[in-house]
Amino acid sequence: MAVMDPHIEVPSTGSAGEAVVVARGVEYAFGSEANLKPILKSVDFTLEPGEFVILTGPSGAGKTTLMTLIGALRTTQKGSIKVLGTELLGLSAVGQRDIRRQLGFIFQDHNLFDALTAFQTLRLAMELIEPRPSYNEALDRARAIMTPLGMGDYLHSLPGQLSTGQKQRVAIARGLVNMPALILADEPTASLDQGSAGAVIDIIRERVTQSRTAALMVTHDVRLFDVADRVVRMEDGRVADAA
Amino acid sequence: MRDSDRKNSGLFVLARNILRAFSPKRSSFGMGIRLIAFNPARLLAAFAGIAVAVAVMFVELGLLTGLLNSQALMASVVRGELVVLSEARTDLHKWNDLSRIRLNQIAAADGVERVIPMYQGNMGLSDPDTNTVRRILVIAFPPEDLPIAIGDPEEIARALRTPNTILFDRRSRPIYADLVLGGEAEINDLSYRVGGFVDLGPDVIHDGVIVMSDASYFARFPAARPIMGVIRLSPGANPDEVRANLVASLPDDVSVFTPDELHQREISFTLRSAPLGFLFGIGMFAGLVIGAITCYQILFNEIVDRLKQYATLKAMGFSEGFLRGLIVEQALVLACGGFAGGLFFAWICYAYIAEKTALAVQLSLESVTLILVLAIVMCIAAGLLALRRVSTADPAELY
Repeated sequence: MAVMDPHIEVPSTGSAGEAVVVARGVEYAFGSEANLKPILKSVDFTLEPGEFVILTGPSGAGKTTLMTLIGALRTTQKGSIKVLGTELLGLSAVGQRDIRRQLGFIFQDHNLFDALTAFQTLRLAMELIEPRPSYNEALDRARAIMTPLGMGDYLHSLPGQLSTGQKQRVAIARGLVNMPALILADEPTASLDQGSAGAVIDIIRERVTQSRTAALMVTHDVRLFDVADRVVRMEDGRVADAA
Repeated sequence: MRDSDRKNSGLFVLARNILRAFSPKRSSFGMGIRLIAFNPARLLAAFAGIAVAVAVMFVELGLLTGLLNSQALMASVVRGELVVLSEARTDLHKWNDLSRIRLNQIAAADGVERVIPMYQGNMGLSDPDTNTVRRILVIAFPPEDLPIAIGDPEEIARALRTPNTILFDRRSRPIYADLVLGGEAEINDLSYRVGGFVDLGPDVIHDGVIVMSDASYFARFPAARPIMGVIRLSPGANPDEVRANLVASLPDDVSVFTPDELHQREISFTLRSAPLGFLFGIGMFAGLVIGAITCYQILFNEIVDRLKQYATLKAMGFSEGFLRGLIVEQALVLACGGFAGGLFFAWICYAYIAEKTALAVQLSLESVTLILVLAIVMCIAAGLLALRRVSTADPAELY
């Protein structure tokens, strides 16, 4: 199993014992007032520090919408969502942006800039943390996050020089490099082979265990369910069950 | 204006974004350059497109300044501190003459060392090869003290002291007979010896210039009266004071200017009497619009191609200002590259236009600076317009 660099400082996830995510009675609908299409219907959900939760369910169940609300990528319409102790309902755009800076996003697509090397991509992400690391500090930090992902030799490679799986691993490193208190991942292993997928999940799992980072991952891959502390199944805009 | 209003004003935001784009503290400094330079073929095409627009602006500006400067050429070559003209002479191409008495009065005034009269007229220069006669401007003055800077004063004086000698302006348009040093030139059916060459240049009305001594001119036009007096001041005399005294003491049938004032007056007159500024301004504006559209298209395509990446940055918590900085950085790269190419095109165009028209079309620091500023403003404005596309990048759509 890959080992994280012990020298990397991990931020606190808030007050001891305080849940990373607390959602109560969350409702969300798309469309105009005359033609509202409810997606989430009174969802309650909690994510504790150091917890790895998989969100699953059929398409249209509302899991992605819930994740985007938790990630402050959408504005909460009704109900309460507290992320890292901050209430998202009624939060300003700048407030939402500040919350997002504390999260680690991993998307289904890598979305890497073709003109930036892996290191430049990670260094760009590091621009969001204070104090900004120097070049050498950034390089050490990038190496520490990339090596366990099997990408230590590709720091200065452009996306065009990497395979799809390698690009996705760079994107995962980008999501983890700032030591986020909460990782939000949407099918992060969809484009990876089984070996790479296992390594990626191990990295996230390890981060969760070591630093009490919380992780919420949307996936349909039942093989990954065993790694999670909890699997939450959503159906028709509601939490159907949690195992 | 409240502080918050000022911080949100367009100019403030623009300045802030430019500063951010080039802040060395930003570790992503140069990211915009890397993005725009990643596709060299597209970048070169972009540079070429903007360079054409910049060249159009240069050519329009060059033609305008060339025409204006050519019209005011005589004022810019004056060798004296002050110039006296007939009050009725509202522009240099209107040849109202001066009374000799006025020149004598000026010469006797305090602070004036001497007044050099200049004579001007149109004559016909024959071309024996084609049997044609072409109109040419003749300028005459006393050879002992040149009133205008058109070459080496001593050589010109020496040549003009020989009776019936003319000097031909080598910058005249190439429509005249080939005149050679020591050869003959037939002007108004009289034969003159070609004693040398001067450098002045034509204007819109006159294709060429011949210089002769006042004595040779009087031999042809005995009743000629000066149309301009170039005033040389005594050492230490204050031009403003001397002019004030002259204006106060002379009748109001004369006007006294410094050469710079005369130059400005001529340019103002030309701009007032012909819609040159408007015409060439339209041309420059067209160049500006072409450049802005080109730059907008390039940046718009760049943004559309990388919309998911920009949305990812927004999702990660990068501000709109950061994204603006990236686009501004790319816009500045396009502006600088396009400007460099446009300057090169313009240099070639100017040389060609100057050769074909003999007008004073030349690159100046002022025109280069003006076009550089316009190119930067054009590209940044286009970039900020294209930025609206980034605003539509919804990070929530990434999931």
